[in-house]
Amino acid sequence: MLFAGLPFATLVTIAAVAGGLTTVFYILKLRRRPVAVPFSRIWERILRDKEATSWWSRLKRLLSLLLQLALLSLLILALGDPRLAGSLVQGRNVVVLVDASASMKARDVDPTRIDRAKAEVKKLVRGLGGTDRMLIARMDAAIMPLSTMTGEMSDLDVAVDQLHATDTRADVKRGLRFALDSLRGLSKPEIVLVSDGAVGDPKVLSENLDFEGVEVRYVPVGKSGKNVAVTGFSVRRYPLDKARYEVMLEVTNTNEEPVDVELTLIGDGQIVDVSRLSLQGNERLPRFYKDLAGASRTLEAKIKLATGESDDLSADDHAFALMPERRRARVLVVTPGNTYLEATLLLDEYLDVTSVSPAKYPPAGNFDVTIFDGVAPPVAPNTGGSLYLNPPDEGGPVKHAKAITEFGFDVWDKKHPIVRWMSMGDIQVAKGFSFKPEKEDKVIGASEAGPILVAGRRSGRKFVALGFDPRDSDFVLRVAWPLFVLNTINDFIEEDTSYVSSYFTGEVWNIPAPSGAEVATLKAPDGKTHQIPIKEGRAVYLGDQAGFYELTVKTEPEATTSMFAANLSNIDESRIKPSETLELGGKPAALPSGFDPGMRREIWLYLLLAAVIVSTIEWFTYHKRVTV
Amino acid sequence: MGVLDFFKRAAAPVSRRLGPVSRRFGSHKPEKADLFGDDFQKKLETLAIVSRRVFAGRQRAERRTKKKGSGIEFADHRDYTAGDDFRSVDWNIYQRFGRLLVRLYEEEEDLSIYFIVDCSTSMGFGDGKKFDQARRLAAALAYVGLANLDRVTIVAATDEIVSRMPTTRGKGRIFKVFDFLRRIHCDGQTGLGDSLKTFVAQHKRRGLAVLISDLYDPAGFEAGINVLRYNKFEPYVLHIVDPAEAHPTLKGDVRIYDCETGEEREVTVTAKVLERMERAWNEYKDDIERFCTKNQVPYFAADVGIPFDELVLGVFRRGGFLR
Repeated sequence: MLFAGLPFATLVTIAAVAGGLTTVFYILKLRRRPVAVPFSRIWERILRDKEATSWWSRLKRLLSLLLQLALLSLLILALGDPRLAGSLVQGRNVVVLVDASASMKARDVDPTRIDRAKAEVKKLVRGLGGTDRMLIARMDAAIMPLSTMTGEMSDLDVAVDQLHATDTRADVKRGLRFALDSLRGLSKPEIVLVSDGAVGDPKVLSENLDFEGVEVRYVPVGKSGKNVAVTGFSVRRYPLDKARYEVMLEVTNTNEEPVDVELTLIGDGQIVDVSRLSLQGNERLPRFYKDLAGASRTLEAKIKLATGESDDLSADDHAFALMPERRRARVLVVTPGNTYLEATLLLDEYLDVTSVSPAKYPPAGNFDVTIFDGVAPPVAPNTGGSLYLNPPDEGGPVKHAKAITEFGFDVWDKKHPIVRWMSMGDIQVAKGFSFKPEKEDKVIGASEAGPILVAGRRSGRKFVALGFDPRDSDFVLRVAWPLFVLNTINDFIEEDTSYVSSYFTGEVWNIPAPSGAEVATLKAPDGKTHQIPIKEGRAVYLGDQAGFYELTVKTEPEATTSMFAANLSNIDESRIKPSETLELGGKPAALPSGFDPGMRREIWLYLLLAAVIVSTIEWFTYHKRVTV
Repeated sequence: MGVLDFFKRAAAPVSRRLGPVSRRFGSHKPEKADLFGDDFQKKLETLAIVSRRVFAGRQRAERRTKKKGSGIEFADHRDYTAGDDFRSVDWNIYQRFGRLLVRLYEEEEDLSIYFIVDCSTSMGFGDGKKFDQARRLAAALAYVGLANLDRVTIVAATDEIVSRMPTTRGKGRIFKVFDFLRRIHCDGQTGLGDSLKTFVAQHKRRGLAVLISDLYDPAGFEAGINVLRYNKFEPYVLHIVDPAEAHPTLKGDVRIYDCETGEEREVTVTAKVLERMERAWNEYKDDIERFCTKNQVPYFAADVGIPFDELVLGVFRRGGFLR
């Protein structure tokens, strides 16, 4: 027998002091309250019987003392935390990975899989041995340890209570790696994976992981998997008609049986479209909705079974998307006259176009974009971003390198937002010039003779310069021309043509934000707010909820608020059919064993229990006047 | 005060810590409200009228005694014995049954009534209800006696005769009775055996001795009554009882002490103990009644919760006081 708690010598000291005090208090009589009675002889009649059994009374009082000393002994022994010598040597170290992915929200078990998982983990906690230690970690897209490696049940219970499922996939590989790292060097390492088994390919999971010497256990959760999901949802405005948009949607039936679903599209809170879809077993059905109108900001897709019942997982029945915000841009055109340019600017009704001749520049008013057509006057403060078409060498943002003829775009940056998705290679130019860009400038397009399309900044303002007059080429006759002009305007007013209508949960999001700020406030769909950092003009956040988010950045003179959407859209998570077995490290993971409730090897617990029982006996005998 | 002083003090008897018993409980101070006010006196007159119905008024003395003698009221027969007056032989009986029986007549005389009021500390226990009731009853019965031209004497007794009101007669002397009863107060130990020995020695003329007491006598309630019996007095026991004493409001560990003797006992009061206390109190009361019945001593339990006039009427109905 060893004492893992207080040292034996200390225990003896405490026992001596406390036992002595108890005995002294027992010997000392409490001062009783004096009470007068009219005739004590009547009381004597009552007390006569007691006197007759005074030896019994003394014995009972002695019994009371013995009970108190027994209680004290038990408590002191419990303080010592006595252990059997053998039990101190080896104890298990267990990492419990609890799948908290979206599929754990399924309601095929009452009330949800995650609640069942919590109950299973609590059973494991109750079954811990006296020398066993456990670490509980939540496993979704990230791994979140909820406790330290501890044997304290109260700490582990708190950790279990913190478990909740999120709208993300489960990164089991990362979880296993975390568990193996946590168990390295510890005795009797054991990993318990509590999951519904929707974890992907087991072979991929076990790649590059060494389970040597580590027991891997698996606690399956869930019993069925009836689910239909929205596995893809995105929306975009038409570049040339931003009032209209198209929607790409994918609905997946993860069941073997065919199913009919009702799909509802909701724009800005109003129903835009309702349709009925029939899906075969395991069918993924993509749908495009073209030329839609009626929503200006938010778009949601909801599905439900045509029978009116709900499937087992509702988290993937609802998808969200946000359309890029429309802004009315003020555009100044400084041109002696350019029909092609003016015609292009008429395509977008959200442009307020002001045309002035070069002599009247600058006019009154503020502008977001100024297009200089063949001129390059000194730039006024109210100019905004500048698009130079065929700028002169003198006054232009980029110096001319040399005049060139008969050329085209031999190379161009196909990912640049100005020319993305555009075919520039067919453009033929009669004459123009190549640029001599500065170091920080970005060459977007170039011919063999040199850069002919350059972007950059001058005095803090963006500019794009085209090294030829469009009218000296067939550029103006191509579809690329209006796209080029409108993309450039959108780029200046930061209306991103590469706009992402929704993010995927479980991934790190880089949300565009004003670059001046360092911290943004993010309001999640559940109403909670988070402070998140901004790095290089992007707010960085690992989102775990589907829905609409609101990002607020404190900028001068007033805060800027933007919205974005996030969706689960993960077919692996939507396949919620549970797996009874799981193969990890080349062999099937067994069910946990050795977690038997009530078999704790901590003797102090039983001593404490005995103390409570003795205390109860003392209480009972006192109130029944047995030991009084 | 040091720790040792504290323990010494805790271990010391209560009586020593709290001082003389009489100082704590013994002195039942005469209360401000007059015990014998106008209402009381009006009720007295009513009671006197009621008492008159019981017997016919006579000039000489209006109460009949047990003494058989030369009166005119037939009382009983007894066998003739040699020496009896032939005139008193009931010849009608002899004619019918052939037995010689002598007629007995009640002798009428003015009776002496003694009211012995217990003035011990226990009578003033609590709020002194027992002592007040005892004095009211003494006054009321004394008035009836005075109204019947009996010789009334009142003594206050503890373990000695504390005070004595000289013998008087005639209802006009009732105010003297009131004054006496107002003056006495509760202080001292009960010792009716000793005090009544003194009483009988002081009062040679025998008569009705009304003992008004709670009979909480450490020497035993029998002692006092027996002294009266053995000395040819006619004892009448008016037992003043306060039922609240059967249900003390105690709980837990207490040290009880006798308000008269200061005797101490440590008791842990539980519901069971209180139950036994009630039983013991009732047994004590029953013992007294049983003793009185056995010895043909009229006994009447006077509850402090019952108005005195009702009690007096109860005394009348019970008999023994008025014959």
